[in-house]
Amino acid sequence: MTSTTPTQPSPLHNSRSPSEPFDIVTTYHHLLSADPDLTMPVAAIESLVLALSSTPTLTISETLALLSTHVATLKSAIPNPISLSAGTDLFQRYLISSLQRPSSPDGDFESVRRHLLTNGRLFVERAKQAREEIANFGRHFVRDGKTVLTNGGSRVVGSLLQSAAEASAGSVRFRVIYVLDSDNLHACTAAEHEHRGRAKRLEAEGTATVAGLRKRGVPVATIPSSAVGYAMGEVDMVIVGAEGVVENGGIISRLGTYQMGLLAKSAGKPFYVVAESHKFVRLYPLSQFDLPIEQDVLRFVADETSGKSGKGVEFTDEAIDVEDGKAMKKNSIADSVDFTPPNLISGIITEGGVLTPSAVSEELIKIWF
Amino acid sequence: MARTVSMTPGLASFLRSLKNDPVEASIEHLISLLKRRQIHNSRPCAIATTQLLLQVVAEFKGKDSDILISRVRHVGQKLITAQPREMAVGNIVRRVLALIREVIEGDEVTEGSPISESPSSIQPLSTPREPSHHPGLPSSISTSSPLDHSGAGHPIDSSPHPSESSSEAISSVHRPVLTASHTSYSTAAPLATSLFGLFSRPETPSPASTPRGFQSPRHGDNPPVPIHQLKGLTITDLPKPVPDDFKADVLDGIREILDELDQVDDQIASYALDHIHSNEIILTHSSSTTVQKFLLTAAKKRKFTVLHVESFPNDHKNTRATMVTGRKNQGQAEEEEDVDDRFSPLTAAGITVVLIPDSAVFAIMSRVNKVILATHSVLANGGLLAAAGAHAITKAAKMHQTPVVVLSGVYKLSPVYALDLDELIEYGDPGKVVNYDDGEFVENVDVVNPLYDHVPPDLVDIYITNLGPHAPSYLYRIVQDHYRKEDITI
Repeated sequence: MTSTTPTQPSPLHNSRSPSEPFDIVTTYHHLLSADPDLTMPVAAIESLVLALSSTPTLTISETLALLSTHVATLKSAIPNPISLSAGTDLFQRYLISSLQRPSSPDGDFESVRRHLLTNGRLFVERAKQAREEIANFGRHFVRDGKTVLTNGGSRVVGSLLQSAAEASAGSVRFRVIYVLDSDNLHACTAAEHEHRGRAKRLEAEGTATVAGLRKRGVPVATIPSSAVGYAMGEVDMVIVGAEGVVENGGIISRLGTYQMGLLAKSAGKPFYVVAESHKFVRLYPLSQFDLPIEQDVLRFVADETSGKSGKGVEFTDEAIDVEDGKAMKKNSIADSVDFTPPNLISGIITEGGVLTPSAVSEELIKIWF
Repeated sequence: MARTVSMTPGLASFLRSLKNDPVEASIEHLISLLKRRQIHNSRPCAIATTQLLLQVVAEFKGKDSDILISRVRHVGQKLITAQPREMAVGNIVRRVLALIREVIEGDEVTEGSPISESPSSIQPLSTPREPSHHPGLPSSISTSSPLDHSGAGHPIDSSPHPSESSSEAISSVHRPVLTASHTSYSTAAPLATSLFGLFSRPETPSPASTPRGFQSPRHGDNPPVPIHQLKGLTITDLPKPVPDDFKADVLDGIREILDELDQVDDQIASYALDHIHSNEIILTHSSSTTVQKFLLTAAKKRKFTVLHVESFPNDHKNTRATMVTGRKNQGQAEEEEDVDDRFSPLTAAGITVVLIPDSAVFAIMSRVNKVILATHSVLANGGLLAAAGAHAITKAAKMHQTPVVVLSGVYKLSPVYALDLDELIEYGDPGKVVNYDDGEFVENVDVVNPLYDHVPPDLVDIYITNLGPHAPSYLYRIVQDHYRKEDITI
């Protein structure tokens, strides 16, 4: 993980238009809420494009410094910056490596900058197009007579399944088991209510996907995540989305994905991940607790009464960097993610084809080194 | 087996007729042979396809590479439809398509360095079906090449080189100049394959589509190009000067593929000493020339024991013949021009060979040091299709933590993702399991005889191809090197 510590804004950063300072966090949130189809990495890229266009920079190092300031600000303001850091990393690497390419006729700074500024929408469109490409390709995985298990509110999975349903035009011959934990959300404490917005949205997306599938004639069963093991015998394949695909080929995805992977593995069912390649992130987690985010999942409470009010004695893992008192907001349980290691994953369906988990590192190495 | 070879329709008769028949007739001929399973198994299919495509390209008269590509693709479609389970056919078609694209793009990038100059190790076939108007060929070689029609009856059995030259051949063409393998990454739009593809520049600003949704303030006046237009923009879509000799280069490349098919066993066998050590107990399965050659190469230096699983009921006769004579029993011996020590059995090299029935595999696995398997085709995810029984063997090997080594030429490596494994398994003649004479039995009992097994990638420890040893998880990369993404669905 690249540094998530907020650095001091550079003098150059401060010197620009004092009237209306550009707020990357607001921009990011605005972009995400304005377009429900936007993924977090792409929203981050888009925010950086807007940040660049709002600040005239003249030199390369000035631009890079500005970008890293904005990236640091953005990352520190978001409870789970893993996914968006895939986008910001990609953007920064692109800038650096296209400036480093000496042979390229477009290698000069001005041209690269202009390219990035003028084609921001193009990047967004491409990212959305990638989702459609994945759906078009991945729907071939959903064969007649198969039962697919999926979870979460992943838009890629939703469009893949809907594309598969549309392709079979009227005579749908596959079934879907959808893990929807709507009941569990009510169990969250008062402290988590502020995060309920996103969780609700994800839940709504899951419900919308289910409704969309049913409208297309696909038989869908919704189950709580506690029933995954029970249902596994009926399942032919598992397809999940991902927030981020990490360097070793594992994925970071909604809480509950890891156990689905474990169960699928033990039942010998293929476990496919659908993710656009801009979600590849340079991160090498070794275990669940190695993620550079704080999650409010394990809350040890000794006092029964205070536990209910959410003020219990908490033993949180302080090993993760919490610096200068400006601790990152914790990820609420509804927003929490887990890490599914690569040995549980049969294949990663990207817009570039089906990759084995070990191919992810190569793609990342291509842009980083 | 009883009939003389000249009468048996098969690879030999096809290759013989290929030089006389017009191309269209040859295409139909091969289709009917494939449909009737008169050409089957990966290598005969690969050789027949390559030779046919050589004719198709040689016969092609135009100057337009796009037409050639669509022509090859069309022929490929027909062949693949004829026998979709012989994946080698599709692999070769995709290789040739990638080759054509390579030649065209390569000529664009480096003008005046045609491929025909570079590989000195090419051994083109000096056969009468050579197009006479093709001047750039080195004109020599290969009275001994089994791929010319005199020896073409035994593509599986015959090794490409007389043994005295084989080691030299291995060293000189240890890694044959695969035109499709190295340059593709350097020339074919590197940005598009990388994660940076998201940021790649639009080729031409197109007013075709305005994006929906949030419009950032500065660039509303510059509508971006939708990605599908960019994706479709392969180099072949652009008008361009194609050099006159691109066909010659393509033909050379196809001959290189033939050459590779010719040498693949020797190249794989050259890795034998790295994997077989003294006094090991090796278990193998079914009659494969590749495995035999591999073991034989190791047997020249080392002593070990081979347990041969007989693979009843589809291949046991060939397996036994391999143990006795070192080659398959296909009734074609009379046509082989020279029966030399290339086909000596392992026992002649002083190796102890034990035949075991398929049912004994698990029992004996605890004593086995290494499992060496042949394959029918390899899938891009690292799984493979092999003769029925292979799955049981690899499962047993997993149970006992015995390493599983799979030998496969690159031509068997398919870019097709195994979406439905049931479709890939072919079922054979149940009469081999239960005789049709046994009327009462046949009437009351369903007999199935699958020819192949699917072995998932996690049961294989290492693949040895003619390019060297690879982990199963690395095979996707070899697929990327040899096939173009646009050709994967033909």
